[in-house]
Amino acid sequence: MFKKFLASGVALAALSGAAHAADKTLVISVYGFAQDEFKEIVYDPFEAQCGCELVVETGNSVERLAKLEARKDDPEIDMAVMSTHDALSAARKGITQSIDVTRLSNYDKLYDIAKDPVGDHMGVGYTFYATSIAYRADEVEIESWADLFQDKLKGRVAFPNVSTNQGPPALYMVGKAIGDDAADLKAAIGEVAKNKDDIVTFYERSSQVAQLMQQEEILAAPIGRFAWGAYSKMGFDMAWATPKEGQTGGMNVMILTKGAKNEDLAYEFMDFWLSTEIQTKLAEALVDSPANADVEVSDEIAENLTYGAETVESLKLLEPAVILDNREAWLSEWNAQIGQ
Amino acid sequence: MFQNRMEGLALALPAAVFAAIVFLVPVGILLSEGFRAEGSWTLASYAGFFESELNRTVFWRTLKLGAIVTAVSAVIGYATAYSIVTLPPTARGRLIGLVVMPLMISPVARTYAWIVILGRTGFVNETIVWLGLSDTPIRFLFTETAVFIGLLQLFLPLMILSLISALENMPRDAVPAARVLGANWLQVFVKVILPLTKEGLVIGGTLVFTGSLTAYITPAILGGSKVLMLETLLYQRVTVANDFASASIIAMILMVMSFSANLLLKRLATARNKR
Amino acid sequence: MTSRLLSYVTLTLVLIFLLGPFVIIVAAALSGGETLAFPPQGLSFKWVMKVFEVESFRASFALSMFLAIFGTLAALVLGVPVAYAASRYRLPFGETIRTIVSAPIIVPGIIVGLALLRYLVIPLDVGVGVALFIAHTALILPYAVRVVSASLDNLRSDIEEAAVILGSTRVATFFRIVLPNIQSGILAAFILGFVTSFNQVPVSLFLSGPGVRTLPIDMIWYMEITYDPSVAALAALLAFLSISIVFLAERFLGFSRYV
Repeated sequence: MFKKFLASGVALAALSGAAHAADKTLVISVYGFAQDEFKEIVYDPFEAQCGCELVVETGNSVERLAKLEARKDDPEIDMAVMSTHDALSAARKGITQSIDVTRLSNYDKLYDIAKDPVGDHMGVGYTFYATSIAYRADEVEIESWADLFQDKLKGRVAFPNVSTNQGPPALYMVGKAIGDDAADLKAAIGEVAKNKDDIVTFYERSSQVAQLMQQEEILAAPIGRFAWGAYSKMGFDMAWATPKEGQTGGMNVMILTKGAKNEDLAYEFMDFWLSTEIQTKLAEALVDSPANADVEVSDEIAENLTYGAETVESLKLLEPAVILDNREAWLSEWNAQIGQ
Repeated sequence: MFQNRMEGLALALPAAVFAAIVFLVPVGILLSEGFRAEGSWTLASYAGFFESELNRTVFWRTLKLGAIVTAVSAVIGYATAYSIVTLPPTARGRLIGLVVMPLMISPVARTYAWIVILGRTGFVNETIVWLGLSDTPIRFLFTETAVFIGLLQLFLPLMILSLISALENMPRDAVPAARVLGANWLQVFVKVILPLTKEGLVIGGTLVFTGSLTAYITPAILGGSKVLMLETLLYQRVTVANDFASASIIAMILMVMSFSANLLLKRLATARNKR
Repeated sequence: MTSRLLSYVTLTLVLIFLLGPFVIIVAAALSGGETLAFPPQGLSFKWVMKVFEVESFRASFALSMFLAIFGTLAALVLGVPVAYAASRYRLPFGETIRTIVSAPIIVPGIIVGLALLRYLVIPLDVGVGVALFIAHTALILPYAVRVVSASLDNLRSDIEEAAVILGSTRVATFFRIVLPNIQSGILAAFILGFVTSFNQVPVSLFLSGPGVRTLPIDMIWYMEITYDPSVAALAALLAFLSISIVFLAERFLGFSRYV
């Protein structure tokens, strides 16, 4: 019995070793949401196409960036996706290299704003998203970002942590709603701090919010549109707010690590992901809004996405450089007012 | 007993060398990092750490929750252990088995259960509303209460087990004798049980306290970013900011806290002994 | 009589507190509904089945199994000689050696993981898997030494001494006389080490890389992105795994004597 047990352990270990022994391996680092869909639409077909193995690491933007930095001299990741400001931060730290866009056959199809959002081709935009408030229409009404702090939502609302991608844009909009949208976000952080006891949690990953919403722990939260798919399937009367101050949002880009061990595969993968076919499928699955202008989707799908250049231009976005240059100050302001 | 000392040393050395090289050296470097700034030895980073109000709050919260969990588990632990020890042997064995069982279950699974139980639509809130104790569900998740409950459930068995072995070693007729002589239960506990079992209390207390200090999962899942403890703060400093300096300071604080708790409890035990 | 009643009430409440969560998890895991609500709606095994369909769990389960089995074996290979030396020899620096090998139990796991990441994995280019193996071995070493020592202390040493006097070599004596007699202690140490390693979280927290993740870490990740009862099903399955190992051990070895 004991010997058998041991033998199966050895076999398992050998198996897991074998899985990594494929000739060509591409290591990518991506966000944690919608991995089932990504696997079906992007990873599996790509593995079939390239005859290689794809190893996927997931996590939120800032955590993965920290890991990339820690492994800067000996990168284990070849290609990663992250927010524009994290890509800018990575570029400044020398973690990434300029992308040779002539090697991406689908590059010319991208919307202009996605072509070089970080500068020096340190990132290529593959999707953008609106950020607004997802809420239970059967319980509350939301017409302004200030409505997050209404009486009905006391103890029933979540807000993104300042360290997340959604945090600063959401704070920026709260600032607009209370009439002070200075880049230091002081007023907005003060407003959140005033209400902190009524906020259930300051979430750090988008996926966490879906869980809280599903368990009816919360009735509203500012989220990125990319996560909307999960909410529309929950069986509640969910609505996407169009606050009078407007919606905010962001763009995600692909980056190539400096010293990537599988550069050719990384280019092949990026081009694959940007292709009209894959971008269309991702859009239809309500995973990512397309950055490829050739993608055409039905009105019904478009309504659930952040679709088309006009929509994107209407978003009140924070510049990557503004986010990066102010982040430290926001963090200490946040820690001083809300952290304790 | 064999006399060849070198032979004994040869047997013990591989493990000691292994533990020293792969364990003590890296941990030692990490801990010493907090004392170094620009090439010289200093306590400045520690002063800087405690200047931040957030860090102070987290420090006190960790200490407070650890102390409360230890105290509450001692009270419940005595009641439970005494009840178990006075049972007939077979029942005693079974009950000890039931107390050991949760220790074998993954802490991830045990903590996760509380999300289901303490949520708005969870068992506790459904019961509270049904009993009419409150009109609306009470918010437990992401509060210190939730972290307290999670930690208590995680570490109570350690206290119970330590106290059971201490109570088993106590002279069998000490309690009945004191009762016959007219002592009430409180007197029996303070004058008889406590002095005779304090070693078990020290062991249990140290296990529970250090366990609470260094539990990561429970504060992470049940507390989140609103109820940061030292361990979750350490993780956050590293993953969000690559701030290894703060991490090594927090690591040192955690070590000092658990060592001093151990010393303090031992001191308390011997102090009473002398009287 | 009242004190007897009081002690039954205490025991019932404490056991509900300690084991109730586990019952609730199992109930939630077998729920037929779509959400983690209480009371569960209907009965079904669909969430349990869903756990087996999650691909990453296979790799992380294999890794955790590997670490638990071979980490414990390595710890025993290192730890049994220490325990033997400590109980049968007048050991120079005995106290120091004991402190060193039991240090891993005192240092918080998260610090161990971070230290190994910073000073072993990154500068020396040691693989994350190797670092995990080293960390788990070091972590189990104190348990191995303690449990085996306890069982050696219960074994009278005069038989060994007699064997040596009669001309048997030390090594032969150890393998022929000592080892068969402390077999159950070694197995107990193995099980304790296995469970400790298998459920270990803080050490593995920092020691994960692309495609290398232990099961508990993978589970935390899964809990974050999933909100249906399959999470409860996973938790229940893991709990059952640990409990059945311990139950079998208790049944056949009287394991709890050694803990």
